[in-house]
Amino acid sequence: MSPNRDAWTDRLSEYVDGELDPAERAALEVHLQLCEGCAGVVEELRAVLLRAGTLEASAPETDLWPAIAARIAAPRKARVLDLSDGRGRRAPRAAGPGAWQPRRWSFTLPQLAAAAVLLVMLSSVTMWAVLSRRPAAVPPLPGPSAASPVTALVQPAGFESARYDAAIADLERVLREHRSELDPATVRVIEQNLLIIDQATAQARKALAADPANRYLNGHLAAQLMRKLTLLRQATAIVAVHG
Amino acid sequence: MSPRVTSASGTPEVAPVATDFQETALAAAGDTRAFERLYRAHVARIHGLVRRMLGSDEATEVTQDVFVRAWQKIGTFRGEAAFGTWLHRLAVNVVLTRRAQLGTRRDRFIAEEQVLENLPARPASRDFSLDFESAMARLPEGARHIFVLHDVEGYRHEEIAGLLGVTSGTTKAQLHRARMLLRGHLGTGR
Repeated sequence: MSPNRDAWTDRLSEYVDGELDPAERAALEVHLQLCEGCAGVVEELRAVLLRAGTLEASAPETDLWPAIAARIAAPRKARVLDLSDGRGRRAPRAAGPGAWQPRRWSFTLPQLAAAAVLLVMLSSVTMWAVLSRRPAAVPPLPGPSAASPVTALVQPAGFESARYDAAIADLERVLREHRSELDPATVRVIEQNLLIIDQATAQARKALAADPANRYLNGHLAAQLMRKLTLLRQATAIVAVHG
Repeated sequence: MSPRVTSASGTPEVAPVATDFQETALAAAGDTRAFERLYRAHVARIHGLVRRMLGSDEATEVTQDVFVRAWQKIGTFRGEAAFGTWLHRLAVNVVLTRRAQLGTRRDRFIAEEQVLENLPARPASRDFSLDFESAMARLPEGARHIFVLHDVEGYRHEEIAGLLGVTSGTTKAQLHRARMLLRGHLGTGR
């Protein structure tokens, strides 16, 4: 019988490796007594196995140590992220036992787009909540204050933003301290969004200075501050999870 | 996994575990001379693994990568296993990472499969070992990796399946395929 058409052919390596169960093994051994083709393949497989197990180690033709020594002797500097030109440069990567190597995270364009969509959705929900005065839709502010954030958000006049400013300042500090752990592209996106929000916030504050009792302007300012808070929370969450 | 340790002459040798442990401790403290001694003790085996897995073109660079990575990670070596075993596993991971990076080159391996199928069953040369290595290099990529890990390096199917993210049924099938392709290049005839 030809081994190419034999039902046992594909099991012969398992037989050689001793991986068949006792019943299969007994059946195959009966078959091998009758099938010269399979018996020959078994012998060849054993020869392959024997040859593979005695292959020699293979030293490289040239000494690789000088190149390895040069690589592991790289300066052990902490990575510095320079965003001054908007492109981000890193110091040489640290090398060596125990060398601190900050984790570097990058995000694909679809991931950034998804984050942007989420941010827009959150901002829209917040704005809707502010303008429609529906407290349940507004997420709570961080911090120990017992006062309802919704109350603060929907105050019709003289909106007090100090609590938001404090929370934002805390998150900005965290982000500033850990920004080098984020990919420069991610940092750029975050900073561009913060800039847009800050410009809107500044315009709202300027308008409120002229008309402090304006309900719409107070709501608009609250919405901008909430947008910034949400963005900073997301950014610091990335640091917390991946840093 | 207790991968085989084979000397340059092909005879099994006892891994110098105790010496390795001392050298590893020194290297972990930043002693590059100790790390060089570890390199010299293990480079042939690591280079052989890398060359058989990825081919000669990649072997030099990836072998360097393995030792640089070992230097960076040596502080995590706790001595539960022999240093050679730890280094070997690290090398396999580096190789598999490179393999993923080289995924776009797979057309080349498909072409090589045809080359293997067309190789003469009996090598013209009497250097059967070299011909066997050449035939191994022409195996289809997946079958070659599994053959090297299982039959050359001594990994079990379950370990290979875990490393490659496939089932042990797949590794068994690929191993059988590799052996069937190689059996004509032993000099034993078919």
